[in-house]
Amino acid sequence: MRRDVVLVGLLWVLATLVGEYVVSTLDIYPPKAALEAEHIDQAIRTLLMLAVPVFNFVVVVMLYSIWRFRARDEAEVGEPIYTHRTFTVGWLVVTSALAAVLFYNPGYVGWKFLKSNPTADLEIQVTAAQWHWHITYPDYGVSLKSRPIGFARIEENPVLALPAGKRVKFEVTSDDVIHSFWIPALRMKVDAVPGVVTTMYVTITETGSYEEDAVFRVQCAELCGTGHPRMTMPVVILEPEEFEDWIKQQQMQEAMGGSMEGMEKQGDGH
Amino acid sequence: MLPVFRGLMWGVIGFLIGGGLTALIRGVLGLEPWVFGSVFLVGYLFGLAGWLLGVGVWDTWMREFLGLEPRPYQAEGWRRYFGFTTDHKVIGIQYGATFLGMFFLAGLLAMMMRIELMQPGRDIFNFAQYNRVMSLHGFLMVLVAVTAIPGMFGNYFVPLMIGAEDMAFPRMNALSFWIWPPAAILLLLSPFFGGWDSGWTGYPPLALTNDPGQMFYNLAFFTGGLSSVVGSINFLTTIITMRAPGMTWGRLPIFVWSIFMTSIMSLTATQFVGVAMLMTVLDRVANTAFFDPARGGYPLIYQHIFWFYSHPAVYVMMMPAWGIMLEVLAHFARKPLFAYKWAVAGFGGVTALSFAVWAHHMFTSGMPETLHVPFMATTESISVPTGLIFLSALGTLWQGKLRFKTPMLFALGGLFNFLIGGITGVFNSDLPADVHLHDTFWVVSHFHYTIVGGAIFGLFAGIYYWYPKMVGRMYSERLGRLHFWLMFIFFNLVFLPMAWLGLHGMNRRIGDYPPELGGVNAFVSISAFILGASFLIFLYNMVMAWARGPVAEANPWGARTLEWATSSPPPVHNFPAVPQVLSGPYDYGVPEAGVHAAVPVES
Repeated sequence: MRRDVVLVGLLWVLATLVGEYVVSTLDIYPPKAALEAEHIDQAIRTLLMLAVPVFNFVVVVMLYSIWRFRARDEAEVGEPIYTHRTFTVGWLVVTSALAAVLFYNPGYVGWKFLKSNPTADLEIQVTAAQWHWHITYPDYGVSLKSRPIGFARIEENPVLALPAGKRVKFEVTSDDVIHSFWIPALRMKVDAVPGVVTTMYVTITETGSYEEDAVFRVQCAELCGTGHPRMTMPVVILEPEEFEDWIKQQQMQEAMGGSMEGMEKQGDGH
Repeated sequence: MLPVFRGLMWGVIGFLIGGGLTALIRGVLGLEPWVFGSVFLVGYLFGLAGWLLGVGVWDTWMREFLGLEPRPYQAEGWRRYFGFTTDHKVIGIQYGATFLGMFFLAGLLAMMMRIELMQPGRDIFNFAQYNRVMSLHGFLMVLVAVTAIPGMFGNYFVPLMIGAEDMAFPRMNALSFWIWPPAAILLLLSPFFGGWDSGWTGYPPLALTNDPGQMFYNLAFFTGGLSSVVGSINFLTTIITMRAPGMTWGRLPIFVWSIFMTSIMSLTATQFVGVAMLMTVLDRVANTAFFDPARGGYPLIYQHIFWFYSHPAVYVMMMPAWGIMLEVLAHFARKPLFAYKWAVAGFGGVTALSFAVWAHHMFTSGMPETLHVPFMATTESISVPTGLIFLSALGTLWQGKLRFKTPMLFALGGLFNFLIGGITGVFNSDLPADVHLHDTFWVVSHFHYTIVGGAIFGLFAGIYYWYPKMVGRMYSERLGRLHFWLMFIFFNLVFLPMAWLGLHGMNRRIGDYPPELGGVNAFVSISAFILGASFLIFLYNMVMAWARGPVAEANPWGARTLEWATSSPPPVHNFPAVPQVLSGPYDYGVPEAGVHAAVPVES
């Protein structure tokens, strides 16, 4: 019995050391381009690190029992252990403490961070409808619309440009059913609810584009009907000067007439 | 005529009467008579009543009321499985056959989805068809997960395990089963009427503006919910009042405890989803505007009401499976269930907390921000009572004498899968992580790990554990093990990569995805086909055993609980006389404990 406890303890420590090394170094995260994304990836990493000892404890005890406590003949019965006061109370204390820890960090702390700064350098209005996005930059009088009929391939849609190094406020709403505005590279999403304006603040940090990785895209993330999978737009994140150029280009196009919807793709800054 | 056919006939007649009357009234009022919504709704309600009438659910009361001789119940032969009967064992098998059928059908739909998702682009379905296949798969599987274990094993084994002759309300028990076929028929017919594309969650306003096939979902959910409520009243009453002498609460087998707690949740939460369905239907057919923002409604209310049931519902799926796993672990480790009272407390804690976590499905929905942190707190604290289940399971294995028969393999595999399901769930409960992971394949991975990996593995542990008792024959252990290893390995190969896919920007409920994710999806699909094929081994094994397996003894596992103290399968009234319970159900290796119960041989 004592030998079993010591062995399981050793195996658990060993497995946990290996596991912690793996989850803290393993790079399973797609490219990211926002301060919020760094915090969210860090939250996921922290949760993985907290999960390792728990996962390992259960698995080590299970595997050790499977290996060590086999019945050798039909008549054998196990030790009649009904309960173990220290172990059960200890289990309750440890699991409660763990729940409290992960509630505080990354949960509460991370959420406070995401909600801490309701200011922005740039405001973008997003209106979702079956099955397209209508994006407006009210400060510049520029607006983009993905193809009104769904099922367009993402490359056929206009590009949503964002400036690196700026804090952006998205004001999101919907014309018909519930949609969800998600840019995986920013790790942020918020639902587009008809009759309600939801907001999302993101501090953009890096440049990037859909050509580099598909996480640089707007994706509807709430089932909204037939065109749902293709309710997408490419995203490009530009240096602020490039972004200003892009805006000027868009303004020129708008001045030339709004009927050139098919031409909006020229807005791609790359 | 078999009662099912009589039921079908009266169901159709009822449908025509109800629908015809509605059209007539509409015509008289000067409205367009044949509109799908209200004609279908009233037709269905009449059809449901006609079905129950024809199948014989009201026979006793109606015939007595009309002064006729009551018809005797069919108690012998294969015909009793196709009609109204009060024998809880027959009802259990009726439930089992119905829901395993639905399980395999929904599994085939999953295979079709994986064919579509094997590579990016549109392959075998257009997006509209994919959404419909996905919705039907999801909803059928939810119904299976909620109902299969309580319906099949709860009905069959709760009375046996507590030493009772039948359920407390045998006719209500039959009613709870016979409500199901109309719901199943609705769902099977739905593809022929266009199906519905709003998933198993049916969020408005999409559910208000999409095709009329949406109503099939709403009415089926409402009907199934009714059965849940009726069934859980019966379980609670049975467990409270029908326990054999000596079967104290402290000696109740853990599976019975799990059904008890599950029934508390079903009884008190299901009404909410019924209301959500009803409000959607009224918005569609009666011009109410509960959820239509254009006319003053508020769509998020639906999500609150829906999840107020549907989160407890996931514990309704999971808890009976925990019950089976703990039951199997104790018997196959030949050890008392470790920390029995703590495990029961765990069930109780999960039951209580399950009502206070629903809004974690809505972290990105735009609900008021005062709700987020409290719901994160309640959700994360539910890991503590859940942890007590693991405490009990691990403690039971420790210093046991383990027998690795098929049910034990499924219990251990289910425990491992649920561990991953639980851990991935913590990420979803965490606000910052969930902002990214919500509505992605991470969530698909998470809930398949809990519901398939946990609840369905528990269901199969139960099937392999109780098959000899229910059928009276033994299956091939070798094929059972082969099924387990294929199912366990390929289950993990299907659903673990899905977590990666979600993290990398693949959202759920889509018939197409970015080309970069094609490789992993192809791997997932191929694994899924092998996972699907593993069930053919199961079916072959079960059918062969049923046809010509060796006759099972009364107690092939040497387990202590009462269902093994009677013949396989048990006689109509279970025990020759009322058993006398003398000690705990898991007192293995306790010399002074003696047998669990004394069953008089002759009455």
